[in-house]
Amino acid sequence: MSVDFWLGVGVIAGIYGIFVLGLQINVGFTGLLNLGQAGFMSIGAYAMGMLVTDAGWSLWWAMPVAILVAVVAGILVGLPSLRLRSDYFAIATIAFAEIVRYTFQNADFAGGNQGIIGFDQEWRDVSDWLLDRFTRIGLGDETQLPLFLAIWITFFLCLIGLRLLQRSPWGRVLRAIREDEDAASALGKNVFAYKLQSLAIAAALAAIAGFFLSFNVTYLYPSEFDPTFTFFGYAVLILGGFASYGGVALGAVLLWSLMEGLRFLHLPLSTGQIGSLRFVLIGLILILASMLRPQGLLGRKAEMQLRQ
Amino acid sequence: MSEAILAIEQLEKSYGGIRAVAGTSFTVKRGSLTALIGPNGAGKTTLFDLVTGFVHPDRGAIHFEGRAIAGLPPHRIARLGLVRTFQLTRVFAAMTVMENMMLAPLGQPGESLLGLITPGGRSRRSEAALGERAMALLGHFNLQDKSADYAGTLSGGQRKLLELARALMASPRMVLLDEPMAGVNRVLGKRLLDYVEELRRTTDVTFLFVEHDMDVVMTRADHVVVMAEGAVIADGPPDAVRTDPRVIDAYLGEVAR
Repeated sequence: MSVDFWLGVGVIAGIYGIFVLGLQINVGFTGLLNLGQAGFMSIGAYAMGMLVTDAGWSLWWAMPVAILVAVVAGILVGLPSLRLRSDYFAIATIAFAEIVRYTFQNADFAGGNQGIIGFDQEWRDVSDWLLDRFTRIGLGDETQLPLFLAIWITFFLCLIGLRLLQRSPWGRVLRAIREDEDAASALGKNVFAYKLQSLAIAAALAAIAGFFLSFNVTYLYPSEFDPTFTFFGYAVLILGGFASYGGVALGAVLLWSLMEGLRFLHLPLSTGQIGSLRFVLIGLILILASMLRPQGLLGRKAEMQLRQ
Repeated sequence: MSEAILAIEQLEKSYGGIRAVAGTSFTVKRGSLTALIGPNGAGKTTLFDLVTGFVHPDRGAIHFEGRAIAGLPPHRIARLGLVRTFQLTRVFAAMTVMENMMLAPLGQPGESLLGLITPGGRSRRSEAALGERAMALLGHFNLQDKSADYAGTLSGGQRKLLELARALMASPRMVLLDEPMAGVNRVLGKRLLDYVEELRRTTDVTFLFVEHDMDVVMTRADHVVVMAEGAVIADGPPDAVRTDPRVIDAYLGEVAR
């Protein structure tokens, strides 16, 4: 297993990390079961791709605008669905993500199943330039290194921002809503407006994760963003622990090290069988982890018990 | 003193054919300590839910400081200065006692994303000032040593005290207390009531409370509203209510059974 292999694992783990930070603010800190995170990711990534390839924008302008597009999508999805009870909200968000996926799959403007290519030249120029510098200072020519660094620097910037928010009076209101939304509204807090903001921030983080995902695979096609992405995201969340942003990083690295590391099982089985066995083993590990440490790696057991 | 802060007119609310509140009318005077009593199922808690916006009335009007509030969402009503506690306490269990207190004040600069990114440290100064106020209030209810504990670890009585202290942190014009004494031991209960009376003397905060302990009602309240089967059957000073035959029949009669 080469350095490049583990850099690749780090890239995927980092993309999931950013993606799950969004789930964490919804699920862990606001009590919103958002199952449509992959939908926001594809909206952000496609908005970026289309602004570059169709409208001829610079990638560096397309990215912030695509984040705004995802935020607006978050608000539009939230306006009707956040008025529903929490379990119905969860169902509505799955439906939203599927609508988005089928739309991109079938609509001409999104390239259908052909997808979109050629939006990432400006990123690749930066990546090549960085790689050249790294080679000169003797870091070797690990092609994934620039992307790896960009992703994890972004992750930690988002983490710091979210931690500051969580410690602010704003973050306190979110947690109060998670604990008891009626009591929060009896104290004058506009619960609906806070939920909407929480969802919009999650959508922005999903969009950023979507940019890096599309840089990694170098083109955009609908099945990149299928619902399993959201469900692997929840596996990261459960492994890392609720209401902990640090746990997200740990959970993402652990899950994807297992996912990719288990490819190298040496067993007298066919490749297909090993592929299936991988998921069986990961399932078992997740079950064991939630039995032995139900609060997750960095979750707080006391808080979990108090909430029951 | 004589001005009404809360006026309830012909309020009605039915749940599937059962009229929980059936044409109720009464007023609460500004600065008063008004008790709302009545047998179980009289509609007291439904009335609280109607006044605070958690339930919308089928008919009738509610005026708070002259403003029609029937049908407004709960957070809008709270922002007018009308704050409640719940019969079954609702503390934010996985937050500390201090965080519960700090949450309550209305219009904190750091509560909006815009307020957080405006420079000048307004949020930090507000937090420091609120922290001091919260600690002083907790002291009145003997909860100062618990400030760093999770609210979910408090006893039932302590939760009641925290809920009242938290409501007061919101600097309300009027507080609705749903059975504030239930589960609170006598010594702390007396402390709670003494503090309420002190607040009434020093400010013009109005209290409306539901209570089953007749000693407390008759000695502390300056006005009593009696409900039975969704309607007001008596309304007056404690001494007049105590001797009202309808009250004895509907309410005290039930106790004797």
